[in-house]
Amino acid sequence: MGDLFDDYDREGFFDEVFADPGVRTHYQGVVERLRRLSPTDLERRERIRDGIFRSAGITFTVYGEDAGIERTFPMDLLPRIIPAQEWEVVERGVAQRVTALNRFLEDLYVGEQAAIHDGVVPRWLIHTAEGFRREAFGIPVPHGARCLVSGVDLVRDHEGTYRVLEDNLRNPSGISYVLENRAAMTRVLPVAFAEQHVQPVDHYGPMLLRALREVAPPAAGEHPVAVVLTPGVYNSAYFEHAFLARQMGVELVEGRDLVVDEHVVHMRTTRGLQRVDVIYRRIDDDFLDPVVFRPDSTLGVPGLLSAARAGNVTIVNAVGNGVADDKAVYAFVPDLIRFYLGEEPILPNVDTYLLWEDEQREHVLDRLDELVVKPVAESGGYGMLIGPAASGEEIEVFRDRVRADPRGYIAQEVVALSRHPTLIDGRVEGRHIDLRPFAIAGESVEVLPGGLTRVALRRGSLVVNSSQGGGSKDTWVLEDDADGTGGR
Amino acid sequence: MLARLAENLFWAGRYVERAEDTTRMVDVTYHTLLEASPDVAAQTWEQLLEVLHLRGAYGPDPVDVATVLRFLVLDPGNPGSITACIARARENVRSVRELVSSELWEAINDLHLALGSRDLGEELDDQPFSLFRSIRRDCMTIYGVASETNPRDEGFRFMALGRLLERAEMTCRLIDVRYGQLEALAGPSQRLLGAHAGPPGLARAGQGADRADFHHWITVLKSASAFEAYRRRYRASMDPADVVEFLLLEPDLPRSVLFCLTGAMRQLEALSAGRASRATRLLGRTTASLQYRDVSDLFDEDLHTFLDGVQDQVAEVAETVADEFFRHHPSGMMHAIATG
Repeated sequence: MGDLFDDYDREGFFDEVFADPGVRTHYQGVVERLRRLSPTDLERRERIRDGIFRSAGITFTVYGEDAGIERTFPMDLLPRIIPAQEWEVVERGVAQRVTALNRFLEDLYVGEQAAIHDGVVPRWLIHTAEGFRREAFGIPVPHGARCLVSGVDLVRDHEGTYRVLEDNLRNPSGISYVLENRAAMTRVLPVAFAEQHVQPVDHYGPMLLRALREVAPPAAGEHPVAVVLTPGVYNSAYFEHAFLARQMGVELVEGRDLVVDEHVVHMRTTRGLQRVDVIYRRIDDDFLDPVVFRPDSTLGVPGLLSAARAGNVTIVNAVGNGVADDKAVYAFVPDLIRFYLGEEPILPNVDTYLLWEDEQREHVLDRLDELVVKPVAESGGYGMLIGPAASGEEIEVFRDRVRADPRGYIAQEVVALSRHPTLIDGRVEGRHIDLRPFAIAGESVEVLPGGLTRVALRRGSLVVNSSQGGGSKDTWVLEDDADGTGGR
Repeated sequence: MLARLAENLFWAGRYVERAEDTTRMVDVTYHTLLEASPDVAAQTWEQLLEVLHLRGAYGPDPVDVATVLRFLVLDPGNPGSITACIARARENVRSVRELVSSELWEAINDLHLALGSRDLGEELDDQPFSLFRSIRRDCMTIYGVASETNPRDEGFRFMALGRLLERAEMTCRLIDVRYGQLEALAGPSQRLLGAHAGPPGLARAGQGADRADFHHWITVLKSASAFEAYRRRYRASMDPADVVEFLLLEPDLPRSVLFCLTGAMRQLEALSAGRASRATRLLGRTTASLQYRDVSDLFDEDLHTFLDGVQDQVAEVAETVADEFFRHHPSGMMHAIATG
């Protein structure tokens, strides 16, 4: 009888599991286990998994389809495994990046703007970034932890080099899947899991709560009150908001639960008003405070920004972080690391072309069929051109767009994302993946081992976003002493 | 707990109860009118709409059985229809799913989905009895599940409080529906004599009911699940005054107004533990005035006005609960609201 991996074809891509001599060392134990599973066995385990996710109600809402249908985010049974030495580099690289970005944002909004004065990044670029918020000037954040939660998207290229694709410094989501995937995997493949000495992830809730308390305003006293602020049950990530509040044991509030009086934020409880010190908000800047931003927002809290400015409440993540999520500003992050930390970047960017530079733009326009073009302010895989997969017509549309608004787009070399064996209809096939590790910055920066591995489930697709038909994998970072063969 | 979530639970309790009690009232009205003339039937349905405060929402359509039944049972545009109440109860519970047992959510969600997937119009034409029975049973399942799967925390108590206050009001209305019917049966000439004359069914208080009345009062008792208990207490006697007293004041009957108010009092005392509460005082006053009421007096007055008065007092209690638990404002803003 053949096994799962018999017909597996790497098709020339960098594969996470298979290399030329065979299975990579850190995958040997798991692959061995999976080879021994019969098709019925596999089906049974898939059924167990589906039951777990359905009964936990782990769903996200897809916009634009009928009635905002709730779907489960499919988790593949084959885990992604990262050996300890490899993870150590990723961890340091992510922490370095988040540290530099926090320094940059702190300097921009409450400091001397040294990076601008010294010409590291142009002032006009900052001021034209969609996520830039003048209203954030002068709002303090203890420890300068403006990006308290970051979800840095990493990909591996054809050589297996980890590269940063996006920083996601506003409201990165997905952490609930990391924790739920882990909980499910330990029940679906308990023996394989136990053999591997995997670093735990379930301390995320306490880790986040500790950081939230560390950034409480000095006035808060010894037991600062933190809350999670959600747009409400109809938001696509509501499940995660509720999940996080539960993990931390804090209240999940909506804008209408909060009221600002004399620049102090309170929540309305059945026992009266209770002061709130830290707000982990999962609402975009624009909807946060109708006094300052969109006046028609009913999700926010009038007066919230003035309370933050008065130092009576800390808004997490800080207002205005989006400036650094602009994909053109992203191109300057390696320079910002050198400038603020005096270090070489540990994790490189994807090679990026800035289209207001005449030479780069013309070079890009000549090679549109080989490159990826992205709008600077979008995320989630929306509105981009993937040159090699695009029609002549689509390419011409983007040519016009780039010429009309060179600041509005960037171009990147196509990264042949690494692939990972994935169960597709009972067979194992290679699918492209990425990795979103979650970093928490309070007094110091800590990275949760692993993160969310997303899988582009459609054959050949490079887009892993859940909104575009992606799935996920539980991500195992091995303990130091593990070599993937069960420690024997 | 967050005031908004407490309020959602309070209303979830009210809406499920409202759906159940509306079912009971529609059921009793429908079945007592099967042999009535079209005029009397129309007038009685009209009374029911008044008692449920839905006459305005019903609009100018002629009041006939088929139209009223649809309006009260399945009209999504009628906020008081049974399906609308269940939908709103579900929305309220949905927003507090974190705070209640998953069994409770499932029970209420199942009922909502089941009502959505059935052809209720056809069931109303064909078999209203079984439809009403199944809705009543599903509502009771929801309370059973709520009671057997949730800790007695603040959230549970607010839900129970909402349910008991709603039921107290609705039992008043149930008696009132019967009163309206008697008025209708008495005909216009009787009513022209004015409120003091009182309707015939009540005028004979103390003398027992005639045969038609006998049947109707049984139906009222049954709709409050009180018939068997009544019979054990009063044997074969069917005096309207006894029935009204039983439904208003019987301390051990789960749907009597007094039972609901004393139960609501227990929840409210637990919720306001140690705090001065105006809602508790108001409720205590209402309960006491009801408790020491001599029912035979009621028949010398206008029962309808008395029942309205009880409902107003219960509504005031609910309003005060909202002020004291759900609507906190900073002191500065309170002033702005008061003067602005």
